[in-house]
Amino acid sequence: MEKHTINVPGAHEFARPRTRRDFFKSLAVAGAGATAASMLVAGKASAKTDDVDIANFALSLEYLEADFYARALDAGVLSGDALGVVENLASHESQHVDALVGLIESVGATPVSKPTLTFPADAFSSQASVLDLAATFEPVGVGAYLGAAPLISSPDILAAAGSIEGVEGEHVVAINMLLGVVPYANEAFPEALTLDEVSAAVAPFLGGEMLSTGGPKLSPAEMYRLGHV
Amino acid sequence: MSGVESRVLIGLDRETSRRNFLKTAAWTGAALSAMGIGGFGVAVRRAEAEGEYKTYEGLGDAAILQFAYQLELLEGTFYAEGVNAGLFADAFLEQIVAIRDHEMAHADAIASTLGELGAEVPATPEFTFPSGTFGDAKTFLELAATFEPVGIGAYQGAAPALESKDILAAAISIHNAECQHRCAINILNLINPPNDLAFEVALPLPKVQAAVKPFGITG
Repeated sequence: MEKHTINVPGAHEFARPRTRRDFFKSLAVAGAGATAASMLVAGKASAKTDDVDIANFALSLEYLEADFYARALDAGVLSGDALGVVENLASHESQHVDALVGLIESVGATPVSKPTLTFPADAFSSQASVLDLAATFEPVGVGAYLGAAPLISSPDILAAAGSIEGVEGEHVVAINMLLGVVPYANEAFPEALTLDEVSAAVAPFLGGEMLSTGGPKLSPAEMYRLGHV
Repeated sequence: MSGVESRVLIGLDRETSRRNFLKTAAWTGAALSAMGIGGFGVAVRRAEAEGEYKTYEGLGDAAILQFAYQLELLEGTFYAEGVNAGLFADAFLEQIVAIRDHEMAHADAIASTLGELGAEVPATPEFTFPSGTFGDAKTFLELAATFEPVGIGAYQGAAPALESKDILAAAISIHNAECQHRCAINILNLINPPNDLAFEVALPLPKVQAAVKPFGITG
């Protein structure tokens, strides 16, 4: 029987970053990641960041995921178990968009509009390419929520984020099942990501230059890894 | 009705024909009714909080962690006994072993944090499970499908009440792992698609307490 070795971290190791300032420090870095991040915080880079910024950042990620899965369904390349899983993924992400829009409006703030999204040319050419990209998006979504949650001040917004954060974790597991990854649930402590890391991972899809300029053609997995450089 | 819910109810229907109905119904029924299973799993198109976290406010981080520690031990013991009973093989076994190890790692991490806080690590409760729990894979997996939402609901409910942001970060990471377990158990229960919830459900403290009391957690 396989024995899994799990590094058990202390609580202090989970908190990354420690401050809102750290979380949003990527606004100062150069490149597409910073451009995308600046767009996401809707010109408030110099303003005090707050729960609404975090919720709007999450909303942009949900728009990205919802659009991706909707296009995947439209492409008609899915069948069997994958079709059912992706139908639910599309529905969930769309519901997350609606919920976040409602949440942001409920506190009297303005939700960001749906970003212009760009996907690799072959993203929807086959079931395998869809699942490959899905397998990169979902851990980013999990990491974004886990990284942002400790920075949220309002307990009600934190509670709302928690109801979505866990669903993104379930999506990771469902994709693992489709990709034949066993065990399906294989993380004792799913990892938080900083905004830097999240922005770098999603920038290519949010109007980054990497694809539209015909720059180096990267696989989704490579783009995801780049987000961690 | 969601897949999870219908599966659980089918399980209960099946149990009614068994001689140990009273015993099992008392246990599982208590757990399910405590969770408010009637409305559980309904995909609500919203993410507003309903204030479950308020039932955890005032406890303090240490007391919340002491309760979570016992929940993790309950889950870890449950999965360890499932592995030891030889109910599973292949991918099923790998998943149950992984979940067992995750729950035990969660308990270790919480114990370590309690140590950092200078708080007492609770003694391991004497856990008891309904008779027949480890007799066959189906019964075991049905109970697993009721355990995971309790753990999820507890962490999700408690998270906004935690005072330390470091502990919050740890708690939500564990919460995410529990949600991943829920989906994995759905896969083992042949629920397809297994990702059948748009929003995870927080539980108020009294419902969590009532759900785990039959298994030996009285704290």
